[in-house]
Amino acid sequence: MAELELIAVRTRILTPNDNIVDAIEEYTKGQVGPGDVVSVAESVVAITQGRLTRPEELDPCFLAKLLCRFVPQKGSLSSAYGMQATMNADGKWRVTFAMLMGLLAKLIGRNGLFYELAGEQAALIDDVTGTMPPFDKYIVYGPLDPSGVAEAIKKRLGCHGAAVADVNDLKRAAVLGVTAGLRPEELAQILIHNPFGNASERTPIVIIKNYAEVAAKASA
Amino acid sequence: MEFLSVLLLFLVIVAVVLWLYVARQGDAELEFLVDQRTDFKLEELTGDTAVLSCNIPFVNKGSQDGTIMDCYPRHLLPQEQFDAVEVVSRLELETRLRKDGYFEALIVPKTTGNAVILTLTFRATGGDIKQAMADMVDMAVDIVYQVVARSKWYITKQRMIVPADELARTLSAGRAEA
Repeated sequence: MAELELIAVRTRILTPNDNIVDAIEEYTKGQVGPGDVVSVAESVVAITQGRLTRPEELDPCFLAKLLCRFVPQKGSLSSAYGMQATMNADGKWRVTFAMLMGLLAKLIGRNGLFYELAGEQAALIDDVTGTMPPFDKYIVYGPLDPSGVAEAIKKRLGCHGAAVADVNDLKRAAVLGVTAGLRPEELAQILIHNPFGNASERTPIVIIKNYAEVAAKASA
Repeated sequence: MEFLSVLLLFLVIVAVVLWLYVARQGDAELEFLVDQRTDFKLEELTGDTAVLSCNIPFVNKGSQDGTIMDCYPRHLLPQEQFDAVEVVSRLELETRLRKDGYFEALIVPKTTGNAVILTLTFRATGGDIKQAMADMVDMAVDIVYQVVARSKWYITKQRMIVPADELARTLSAGRAEA
């Protein structure tokens, strides 16, 4: 009986000069079957899309310098540069409004409203140190059109499906984009133990083997 | 008019509260404790090359976490002062050793610290390192580092002096051990 199996695929360091679909095809050659789902780490997708910037390239505005002070220190928006990058991506006034609402909501015990209102990049941006060298000195945005990327991977590899995922060692997993027919919450659970490993392991691709067969049996 | 006055007063109070909040929060304050470095030790000695290293602690004395984005040594030995050796200097984090001279950006939580290993390689231009180092002069090494925290990023440096007599002692002790 087929069982789910997670295979982490090691690659070289992928850069903005790479095409993520080409790279996945190159490194998974001969390993992906028609019943498998291919997942890829969102930060690597973003890097190959050139969605990164250096703090030196940003000039934080007054609001960025002020609002970052209200973000806990471990957060990517706790530096003026992380906050400015979010403002550049999601809009300065939207982020400001979200922060105001978020602070007011906290007063009545409601957490997380800022991230609900500020736009998707607020939760996806990785500040410096968030990615492996040489991108540890960059702020990396979330990927653009993750579902479109997933569809392109599926089309090229002929697999059952594909996903772009944001997973970390803190048992937090979010699937940002999937091919039609896949359920992001279910994939997030499969990937919850972070089979991508830490950044230095350089395994940004995880093949979920036998996914289609196992899913079919589960629904039968 | 009264409404405008109340509004103005409210805005002033908000501004003062925010300023106090930011001032009280403070920022990271990273410092390399060059005066607390370890003595140099001899790592390698060949006919024309001597490699020495020491550990330099650093701390975040501030009230916020800070990130060292980059850190590198800058040795200052102009040929006008001394040209019998060529120097190569390299830094690596004590807890994350690597030989490529690349400093991986590092978050330093407030009130904590770590240390870097400074490695100096001296190569005698005349081919004999013992002879060259006999006339070596005191050499300045700047530890240059880039910090980003709550405020704008900045690059700063701290200078340490590598005394020639310490190098000589280390070399002669190393030779004696060998």
